[in-house]
Amino acid sequence: MKKKLTILPSIFFLLILITFFYLLIIERNPSEIPSNLLNKNIPQFETDSLFNDKKFISSQKFGDEIILVNFFATWCKPCRDEHVYIKRFSNEKKIKVIGINYKDNKNKTIIWLKKLGNPYSDVAIDKSGMIAIDWGVYGIPETFIVDSNKIIKYRHVGPITQKMYKKINQIINESK
Amino acid sequence: MIPSLGNFGLWLSLLLALIQFSISNKKISYSSPRVNKITVNLLLISSLISFFSLMYSYIVSDFSVINVFQNSHTTKPLFYKISAVWGNHEGSMLLWILVLTIYNFFLFKLYNKKNSNFVYKVLETQALIIVGFLLFTIFTSNPFERINYTQQDGLGFNPILQDPALAVHPPLLYIGYVGFSAALSISVATLTTQNLEKIEWYNYMKPFVVTAWTFLTIGIAFGSVWAYYELGWGGWWFWDPVENASIMPWFLGTALLHSLIIVEKKKSLQTWVLLLSIITFLLSVIGTFLVRSGILTSVHTFALDPSRGIYILIFIALLGSYSLILFGIKSKKFFDNNYFNLFSKEGSILVNNILLVIVCATIFLGTIYPLIVEAFTNNKISVGKPYYNSTVIPIMIPAILVMGIGPVLAWSKADKLKTFKKIVPSILLTTVMTILFFLIYQSYSIAGFVGIILAFWIISNNLILIVKKNKNYSIGMIVSHLGIGLLILGITGSSVWQKEKIALMKINAETKIEKYNIIFEKIDEIKGKNYIALQGNFVVYDTKKNIVVKLKPENRFYPVTGAFTTEASIHTNLFRDLYIVLGEGNLNNGWVVKIYYNPLVIWIWIGALTIFLGGITTLYYNSKKTKNI
Repeated sequence: MKKKLTILPSIFFLLILITFFYLLIIERNPSEIPSNLLNKNIPQFETDSLFNDKKFISSQKFGDEIILVNFFATWCKPCRDEHVYIKRFSNEKKIKVIGINYKDNKNKTIIWLKKLGNPYSDVAIDKSGMIAIDWGVYGIPETFIVDSNKIIKYRHVGPITQKMYKKINQIINESK
Repeated sequence: MIPSLGNFGLWLSLLLALIQFSISNKKISYSSPRVNKITVNLLLISSLISFFSLMYSYIVSDFSVINVFQNSHTTKPLFYKISAVWGNHEGSMLLWILVLTIYNFFLFKLYNKKNSNFVYKVLETQALIIVGFLLFTIFTSNPFERINYTQQDGLGFNPILQDPALAVHPPLLYIGYVGFSAALSISVATLTTQNLEKIEWYNYMKPFVVTAWTFLTIGIAFGSVWAYYELGWGGWWFWDPVENASIMPWFLGTALLHSLIIVEKKKSLQTWVLLLSIITFLLSVIGTFLVRSGILTSVHTFALDPSRGIYILIFIALLGSYSLILFGIKSKKFFDNNYFNLFSKEGSILVNNILLVIVCATIFLGTIYPLIVEAFTNNKISVGKPYYNSTVIPIMIPAILVMGIGPVLAWSKADKLKTFKKIVPSILLTTVMTILFFLIYQSYSIAGFVGIILAFWIISNNLILIVKKNKNYSIGMIVSHLGIGLLILGITGSSVWQKEKIALMKINAETKIEKYNIIFEKIDEIKGKNYIALQGNFVVYDTKKNIVVKLKPENRFYPVTGAFTTEASIHTNLFRDLYIVLGEGNLNNGWVVKIYYNPLVIWIWIGALTIFLGGITTLYYNSKKTKNI
């Protein structure tokens, strides 16, 4: 009886392995966190715009076309990493990108965008983080796809990588 | 040129490891100790070549190497250029391989005419592990990949990783993790070798386990020091998956270390030790898998690349099934029917072994539970501090009680009355110390009370052993156990009596924490070597209005990476740390200031260092003994 127990570790090990393999094989992305706002209208907001003294009124900015909404900050290193892909969306794919500058310093952001290039058609300032709360932002950077009916089609948590860039393009094409 | 040499070194290592694998089979005609010796030495040299080639590329800032380009910068201090070699995934794999080949070298040192079959089998398994990691590095994480176009300067290095504690943390940790590979190889060799009678395999295994465990301890401690001083969150342990990945092999390694003593003295528990040594190394590799496959999200994110995950998992599957199935088939002959009395030295070690394995399993479950839930239900959950604190601590309490009494118990069967007489002094000492402690501290809580009693219980038991100067006890064991006592003291103090205060402070504002008044004097702009910073000046007064210390926390900006970091300013003494972090703010509205009062934190580091010294002492005495086998 006792001697048969020696095979138990192998069985446990096998079970753990199967779980890990299953998790690696299924289309799973730890950055993909389901949003309650998916397929719903965007939360509206009014705030200051970064570049001029005008107000940023969301009801005037969305609609008519597909827009990417990108929550970013200059203090966030992954935001810097994904910046090249945000630029590719606006420069190569001609997609309108609205930036939401999360808990940041206005001057630092302007310098940052001058240095790295500005892909945003407009940047809304979210000094207090309230807009992020309304949008259910989990941690920045975060990117949303909003279609021409002001409906959120997709949400990505974390920096955009080469792979995500392709995937988001695909979703944008499907949403058109 | 040099990077190509490094790459060549990797391929050469692969070739040599394959040769070592094949000639370790005694049936092959050209196998001889000389050939084997040459192979082992050359393997060490070739992995040294790879490692130092990458280091050279970092020192001279050769940005044609992608790895250097992504992680370094010309303005970086030399010390951090060197530590950047292992501060990234690819480079750290190179370090991992180097440590593997160093252990391989020392495994060959065990060789003599009597044990040749056995040592050959050990080297064969070790070669298999080396081949696995080399293939992984060469094909999925080659640090010597080049870029064609020239780069002006590198992308820089994450500034929060620029810290002396973190620079030494990976090498120490890897000496720990990788050391357990030697235990696995010895275990596999023990299971497969015939005519084992004359070979004391446990004596071969012991120095490797002691080395691995000792360095793992200090490696984890340095990681914790880094988190405490650099992250600015006021704590030193966060139950992050990466921390769990390092603490799990530590708990199993601790169990392994102690059960080896039983095998050595009583020839019991051999099966258990063989299994434990396999699982400890497997768990080290599974930890690596969890961290680097992107399967879990953690603060230590390495580059997420699923192909790496698949590769490591296949490697774990092969190594694990090979060794565990072998164990399943062959371990029967190691069974013994020596039931022993629980009230004895070996009984106490066995009880603690079980408790340590349960703690390890609990942490493992907490770490992978979110994954399992997600795999079956598609829900995301997270397991955090409350789970670990409410499971690990209650299991550890009996383990610590037993740990105090274990060393004074006799082998085989301890006499209850004699044992009681032996522990009376430590019970008295514990009581005195505890009363004194609470008279001074004047702060009471049940958790604190339990923790302090446990800490003093261990400390007084071992202090008494030192005073008695009994030759029967290993000095390394006493020192390490004393370290555990100090560690518990620090852990209890800093987690039970921590005070935290968050205040919005303008210049000249005043706030109070415990018995200290803190005045925000001024804020300066300063310039460092590769950063600029805002530096707050805080003056701390005690109740008699004497200045205790001036604390200067900083908010740094590193222009190269565009990153901001916070530098906590900490005043430490033997009783408490004062810890100030400067948050967001401006002159008009004031700054958010976080102040922590952390009692007894320094004893955590003193404890860890003491454990380390105990391990080194054991190693020193053990190496004398190993030479004789």
